[in-house]
Amino acid sequence: MLLSEIFVAGMFLTFGILLFTGFPVAWVLGGTAVIWTVVGMIAVNWFGAGLWFDWGSSLGLLPERIWGMVSNDVLVALPMFIFMGIMLDQSGVAERMMNNIVKLFGVVRGGYAITVVVIGVLLAATTGIIGAAVVLLGMLSLPVMMKNGYDKSLAVGTSCATGTLGILIPPSIMLVLMADRLATPKASVGDLFLGALFPGLLLGALYIAYILTIGVISPRKAPLPADLPKITPRVFLDVLVAVLPTVALILAVLGTIFFGIATPTEASGVGAAGATVLAAFNRRLNWEVLRQSVTQTTRTACFIFAIFVGATAFSVVLRGLGGDRVIEELLLGLPFPPVGILATILIVVFFLGFFLDWVEITLIILPLVAPVVTDLGFDLVWFTIMFAVTLQTSFLTPPVGFAIFYVKGVCPPEISVKDIYKGVVPFILLQLLGLLLVFMFPSIVTWLPSVGAV
Amino acid sequence: MTDTTHDAPHGGPGDLSHHTELPTTRPSAAVDRVVQAIGHAFSWLWIVVVVAILVGVFGRYAFGMGSVLWEEIRWHISSAVWLVGLGYTLVHDAHVRVDVLHERFGLRTQAWIELLGLAVLLLPFVAVGIWESFPYFLNSYNVGETSQSPGGLPARYVLKFFLSVSFALILVAGVSRLLKCTALLFGVPRPMKRRQQ
Amino acid sequence: EQIRWKMPIAFPSDLPGLGTPSKFVEKRLKQISGGQTQVRVFEPGKLVPPFDILQAVDSGKVSAGYTWIGYDQGKIPAIPLFAATPFGLKPWAFTAWYYYGPGHEMLQEVYANKGYNVHAQLCGIIGPETAGWYSSPIESLEDYKGMKIRFAGLGGKILEKLGASVTMMPGGELYQALQQGTIDATEFSMPAIDQNLGFNEVVKYNLFPGWHQPFTAQYMLINGDDWKAASDMQKAQIKTTCTAATMRGLAEGEYKNPKVLAGFRDKGVTQSLIPRKTLAKLQETADEVLATEAENDEDFARVYESQQKFQELYQEWERRAYLPPTLGENN
Ligand code: NA
Ligand code: NA
Repeated sequence: MLLSEIFVAGMFLTFGILLFTGFPVAWVLGGTAVIWTVVGMIAVNWFGAGLWFDWGSSLGLLPERIWGMVSNDVLVALPMFIFMGIMLDQSGVAERMMNNIVKLFGVVRGGYAITVVVIGVLLAATTGIIGAAVVLLGMLSLPVMMKNGYDKSLAVGTSCATGTLGILIPPSIMLVLMADRLATPKASVGDLFLGALFPGLLLGALYIAYILTIGVISPRKAPLPADLPKITPRVFLDVLVAVLPTVALILAVLGTIFFGIATPTEASGVGAAGATVLAAFNRRLNWEVLRQSVTQTTRTACFIFAIFVGATAFSVVLRGLGGDRVIEELLLGLPFPPVGILATILIVVFFLGFFLDWVEITLIILPLVAPVVTDLGFDLVWFTIMFAVTLQTSFLTPPVGFAIFYVKGVCPPEISVKDIYKGVVPFILLQLLGLLLVFMFPSIVTWLPSVGAV
Repeated sequence: MTDTTHDAPHGGPGDLSHHTELPTTRPSAAVDRVVQAIGHAFSWLWIVVVVAILVGVFGRYAFGMGSVLWEEIRWHISSAVWLVGLGYTLVHDAHVRVDVLHERFGLRTQAWIELLGLAVLLLPFVAVGIWESFPYFLNSYNVGETSQSPGGLPARYVLKFFLSVSFALILVAGVSRLLKCTALLFGVPRPMKRRQQ
Repeated sequence: EQIRWKMPIAFPSDLPGLGTPSKFVEKRLKQISGGQTQVRVFEPGKLVPPFDILQAVDSGKVSAGYTWIGYDQGKIPAIPLFAATPFGLKPWAFTAWYYYGPGHEMLQEVYANKGYNVHAQLCGIIGPETAGWYSSPIESLEDYKGMKIRFAGLGGKILEKLGASVTMMPGGELYQALQQGTIDATEFSMPAIDQNLGFNEVVKYNLFPGWHQPFTAQYMLINGDDWKAASDMQKAQIKTTCTAATMRGLAEGEYKNPKVLAGFRDKGVTQSLIPRKTLAKLQETADEVLATEAENDEDFARVYESQQKFQELYQEWERRAYLPPTLGENN
């Protein structure tokens, strides 16, 4: 077992170091997987190491695992939401909407950022795929905020953090997978969806509170728009007219899900079509715009899919080298009181989130700790939602925050990864505050399921 | 870093990624053109995916159509595009990097990192991908695999073939990029002159 | 030579009857072999996505797998007959056909005929699934016309023939799709498993009997070369353990379902029976669909004929030998 521990640590370390060479994340993941497969095979075949490790059941499974992504209908939503975002951006609809909403929020410093949070929460209700939401928000909001002199870190931190809410606020494939893994009527998909709603909104509210505070204590980071008109009925009407199409689009997408016309996956396609129609109405749609949109959709979707491909190779090798068992033993051998165990689980999840993606963490840990937590007398839905918030936070934590990579792929050139790292720190603290609130007041989670489900 | 030559055809205003500005070479330019053309052609299929989703949704309401077929069409096409797009994205150098330290390195250091990264990380990974994915496709082809759901698409092996296509495109795009690094570092193959922009 | 096989599985190992036998096999094999024969369970998706277990075992990437083999009907058309046949045999009758009839040998032939190098061992069986969860009651086959329903396998083909709009949505999207009315109905599995997905929270009509899947069988798939390399003792250990797992899985489902069923009733679920006439019509349609399948695939025809012959014979015995379940009710 010691050998496994060394290998697992070695794998994380290799990845962490190579990442900072600046070689693309996706291929660092894949390459690390290859390197450690070689190490593992040498250990087994030449030195007779007692690992259950071989080529076939590690990297040999690469095509099977990629096919698992290929045949996942839910992932179609990713390029579709990206296409929708690019269309809204190309057609100028997004910028006009942002600029107009700000006229109403004008007197409030940080109006743009607050708008981003509000739109982000709405978006979160249409998609459960984190890459899609982060990229969409980044594309729509960053250029506008830059143009208006926002602090780089504040701008990018806001869109990055808000984008991760998509995985918490239902519909959410993360919660679906969790319910599937828990496999108990005590925490059905419905319970988790209802349970996640208030914590998700709470986090959104915390973000807004933070932005307002920043506006007061360091106003330079969130300047007021220069040529702000007085809010007259006339201005109000103009704003309404300008904002209406986009809001209508978002509501239409939400509506197709809410009224059961379409699944969340299908709604993404409806949104993409709607955005194209909006562009046409604004007379911004021509072949060149369309060509730009489709090719940029490919590049944006593909840098995300490439990370998925690299990550799946990384985790299958990690698992082959005994990674699961190392983590399991770490968790189950704890000599702590119940609350201590709970906290430790969340802390371990948080730190694993620096390196692994949420699917892997959910697969490895949730089924393992759920019985323990239930035995200790904790509410399973409450625990699972805290688990989910912790995972959502891990998307933001440097160095390996997947949301950080996603937003990096679409942000203006003047924003570097360092700016993003700096930008997400306050939001990570807000996440921890949110988690603490949920921990102290479990009814934030448990109240809605208790009245919602019969 | 005053070199203004660009390593890859850029996508215009939407293309926001950062680039190590490598010189191009004759073989690289040829390979990039082909991968680029394939990527562009496949990108248009996103519109087909949108249409397939709309048809699936409306068909279910308007005509009580079964939607298994449309569900499968949309993920078949969507996946084919992103599989092909991985190599295309590499040509555009649009894969995400952690540039915290990277942006402080000089051009030659960046080129060395790129060279070693390609040789030690990307190309071995892609070689594994090709080595494993082709038999995976063959197996499916030999049994004439179809959809597992009634009313689904026939010939599932066609999409499985795209796994191999995907890795093959990443391979050639990767080699093309490797040549650009050697061109900068060792002058082999000869860097092509590009006009100043 | 020790056996150390990785065994990816298709269902979470804690799902009653569907997944639990895999854990049973893991534990018992180790015990009865004194550690000489060991398999290690890998939860769904940890190593291999569930639908690719056959391929991974066949290519030797993993030595064993545990799955519902019906997932492979796109590769081997005859496979569903061994996994779940609409209007097919009851679980214990299926085991009769499998162990004492030609079932086991036929299954090996079916794999070999398609070029697969695997040994399949029946290693779990559960009783009927329910005929689905509906937002409105089903009284006649007309009700299926235009219904948006999620229905897997051959059963889905049958409903499509009746005019339903069939989808194959993944399990995880079902709850919300039902809640929002994106689909009107879904089938998934037996009550003890369905309750985990919370269908009873969103739709209130649960239909019986499970005509589309009277039995649902899981198998341990073993790479052909690894199976040949195993000693007679090891083979016997595996076969015996799987036979025990089959019995235990069936018992577990039969033990747990009644309680869950009663629980559903308390939560206001209407549990209705498909009228006899409707069932008969469903069976007619099923016969047509299965006959078409048989025309298209030689192995399907052979296995189907064998099962039918046994089923006819068995029905006579069953009718006479067993007490009718409705005995003692006031009708
Ligand atoms: Na969401
Ligand atoms: Na992280």
